[in-house]
Amino acid sequence: MIAIDFAFPLVNGLHARPASLMQEACLPFTAACRFCNLRNGQQADVKSVLELVASDTAAQDACRLEISGADEKKAGRALRAFLRQDLPRADDNLPPPASATVQAAWLPPVFQHGTVRVLPGRALAAGIGSARALILQKTRMIALGFASGKKDAKNELRLFQDACREVEAELRSQAATAKNATAAAIMKAHLAMISDPGFRERINDLIAKRKKSAGQALGETTAHYTRILQKSHSVYLRERVGDLQDLAAQLGERLYGPSLPKAHQSLCAPCIVVAATLPPSELLGLEHKYLRGLVLGDIGLTSHTAILARSFGIPAVSLSPRELGEIVSSGQLVVDGRRGLVIQEPGPALKRYYRLEEMKLRLQAGQLAALRGRPAQTTDGLRIEIAANIGGTKELAGAWRHGAEAIGLFRTETLFLERDTAPDEDEQLAAYRQAAISAKGRPVIIRTLDIGGDKPLPYLNLPQEENPNLGYRAVRFYGEHEDLIRCQLRAILRAARHGNLKIMVPMVSAIEEVRLLRRLLAEAGAELRERKIPHADNIEVGIMVETPAAALFVDQLGREADFFSVGSNDLLQYFLAVDRGSARLGELYSPLHPAFLRLLFQAAAQARKAKRWLGICGEMAANPEYLPLIIGLGFDELSMAAPAIPAVKERIARLDSGACRALLNQALHCASAKEVARLLGEFNGRGETMEVIAAELIRLDSPSRSADEAIKELCDLLELGGRVQNAHELEEAVWKREETFATDLGLGFALPHGKAATVRTGSVAFLRPRRPIRWGGKSSAPVQAVLMIAIPAAAKGEEHLKLIARLSRRLMHEDFRETLLAAKDAKTVLAAIRTCLAAK
Amino acid sequence: MKIVAVTACPTGIAHTYMAAEQLEKTARQLGHQIKVETQGAMGIENELSAVDIQGADLAIFAADIAVQNRERFADLKIVEVAVQDAIKNPAALFSRLAE
Repeated sequence: MIAIDFAFPLVNGLHARPASLMQEACLPFTAACRFCNLRNGQQADVKSVLELVASDTAAQDACRLEISGADEKKAGRALRAFLRQDLPRADDNLPPPASATVQAAWLPPVFQHGTVRVLPGRALAAGIGSARALILQKTRMIALGFASGKKDAKNELRLFQDACREVEAELRSQAATAKNATAAAIMKAHLAMISDPGFRERINDLIAKRKKSAGQALGETTAHYTRILQKSHSVYLRERVGDLQDLAAQLGERLYGPSLPKAHQSLCAPCIVVAATLPPSELLGLEHKYLRGLVLGDIGLTSHTAILARSFGIPAVSLSPRELGEIVSSGQLVVDGRRGLVIQEPGPALKRYYRLEEMKLRLQAGQLAALRGRPAQTTDGLRIEIAANIGGTKELAGAWRHGAEAIGLFRTETLFLERDTAPDEDEQLAAYRQAAISAKGRPVIIRTLDIGGDKPLPYLNLPQEENPNLGYRAVRFYGEHEDLIRCQLRAILRAARHGNLKIMVPMVSAIEEVRLLRRLLAEAGAELRERKIPHADNIEVGIMVETPAAALFVDQLGREADFFSVGSNDLLQYFLAVDRGSARLGELYSPLHPAFLRLLFQAAAQARKAKRWLGICGEMAANPEYLPLIIGLGFDELSMAAPAIPAVKERIARLDSGACRALLNQALHCASAKEVARLLGEFNGRGETMEVIAAELIRLDSPSRSADEAIKELCDLLELGGRVQNAHELEEAVWKREETFATDLGLGFALPHGKAATVRTGSVAFLRPRRPIRWGGKSSAPVQAVLMIAIPAAAKGEEHLKLIARLSRRLMHEDFRETLLAAKDAKTVLAAIRTCLAAK
Repeated sequence: MKIVAVTACPTGIAHTYMAAEQLEKTARQLGHQIKVETQGAMGIENELSAVDIQGADLAIFAADIAVQNRERFADLKIVEVAVQDAIKNPAALFSRLAE
């Protein structure tokens, strides 16, 4: 007999898909294969997918495969390769769940109009769907309570086998003609479940030995496995109950077709399907052409139905049973998969509101698609790598979606915070490996633990310090906690087999600290070798440049490090001795201080000389306005929050690296941050500008008919223009301002405005409705033009405020208003506003 | 007439400045002298000095929030209006001053 020990590698545990892959891997061999979960003692015949699934195996469980038979050696080799190469990737095509949207507590006033009923729920799949409700009755397996009595076992067995054959044939044809790869994989998993020997034998036994009818046997067996799955440790496995019941329902229909309530309905008009449960097979069976959205009962984000909905782009929301029960058949519904709401009887105002939302989503998808694959390159052909900063594996999908070419900073602190014990090697391994696999060969830079007295960890016992920012933190405590760091390094080394991982050390100020890390890394590698655990032999080690000492010491540190990345936020606060959180010091904290630019210039020059690449992963990199200086400094890689990526790529594409270097040269010789800001402002002002107003922030001929719509449309324009991260949040700020008094000026103009954290840069958007709008109730003159002002919550760039104040003043002059009202196109409006902003 | 004025609104982004502009424009048209201090998101600008205030016949507060350093105006007649009124109907405001 051959035994192979391994740790179960998939985060979602051993669910139907990896189980069916495992089964397939064993099929070619005659040897018997047993799977043992050493944690819970469960055993399974590998040829039974259901038994495998029922073993309740979670991520990182210690497992063993026992192979015995004539061809055991050959089977052992093949299975080892399978466990090493294929099994860890079995989850790859599993779309990660969209982050469970936190329900917006605040809704705009348009949600309170008339008879609108808002049902709050949980977002399962993004998008907006609007149509009539079609309520599907659910097929209940409990309905399979068929009398036993004098059933002829032989006949029942035959009936059951026929049913299985038919369902199998149907699944096979569905898998072959599936609408996408996700659907095909799910059908295959169902196929494996139905041909599962454990499932089949249990039913056969019940019929033959216990004299049950086929229906009863099916019902009891389904109930048996449902119980096992529901007890599972993995949420993912618990959600497989839906798959099992789906299959049982199909078999039940084959056995007793007409007597079971038929859930399947063909759609013949646009509709929103409402169902307490909707098995995957039924979702696939629906006519997608007419399916506008799904409202489902209490199901999870990783249920196959939710996964399918996301893969097809069908908006879906789950509701509690009470709310679900309130939906009326054929009533008009809107499914809002972003806010996680279902709206009954939306009425014309809300319908129009959602039409605007749909328009925004369409435009946004187009924008992202156009930028995603595009590399960041200056007009003179200089390539710069654009990476994303992430705080956990949940942010991976968003990073790639926004077009990241790498993960430039994976902060590992979140794995360690808010718990009583440090995460063990396997838990960390799971996270790092997920990042490595999802990157598909793109680099992922993992920063080792960066924590200090300000974020106490009960199990670390770091001292409380008066000044934690200058204290015992990050690499400085590694020497005293070698075990903890070696554990993290082992997890990284193991995960590095699955992709292109690199290590980055935080808070370095002396070369000994890098040498310490190197030693711990060598020891971690040796431990793994000794334990015969596969891992990567070589991994690059970089330094996060956060202390001025490190920035001026790149040439020496370069002997021990493969690359550098500037953490501009901390570096700036340490360099200027300015606490970035201090409200009173706000103006002093400026990355445009010429001395700071000189520091970066030095670091960059030393990195080039030492032939090490240099990146930057602070907020400075995410601000499109600073890019000319960043490019001038010669950074090789910029890493930022994913949503900032498209705007940065777009800005880079309009810069010339030579001009940027010339600008930097001037900036290095300025006397103050204000001078640099002015210089930069002039530079950015040349050609098309990201300043205050832009052509894409102007919409004439707007369809809006009310303040509700106009405000939404303007917030959306600002989101589409990259000025605002989340239009909903700006909308809230604007409405809260509007509630103190309506901003209709009584001159044919309204001037809604808001201050919010979601605003990236002070901006103005302009809209002219096709027909004048009644703004607040009894307005003296209908509004013909709307100008929206959006200001960041912590507005520091006084320049923006000054420009906007100037614009507000100009609005008091009739000639300016007339120009804006009479302008034939957006270009004329843009020119008029620019002239006004430029005037002193 | 010699007038000093202060404008201030809750967010201090737009109305503070629109009201200031409107007051300046209307005063000029009516042949008055005016100096307007704005108390907005950029802080206090065009600040009124003791000399400005001493030499003035009256003060206008176009404000929806409390005016800062109000004690400076202790000896002066103050006409208080909402920011909106200064923006929407400055003529009416100035005709009130004449009374």
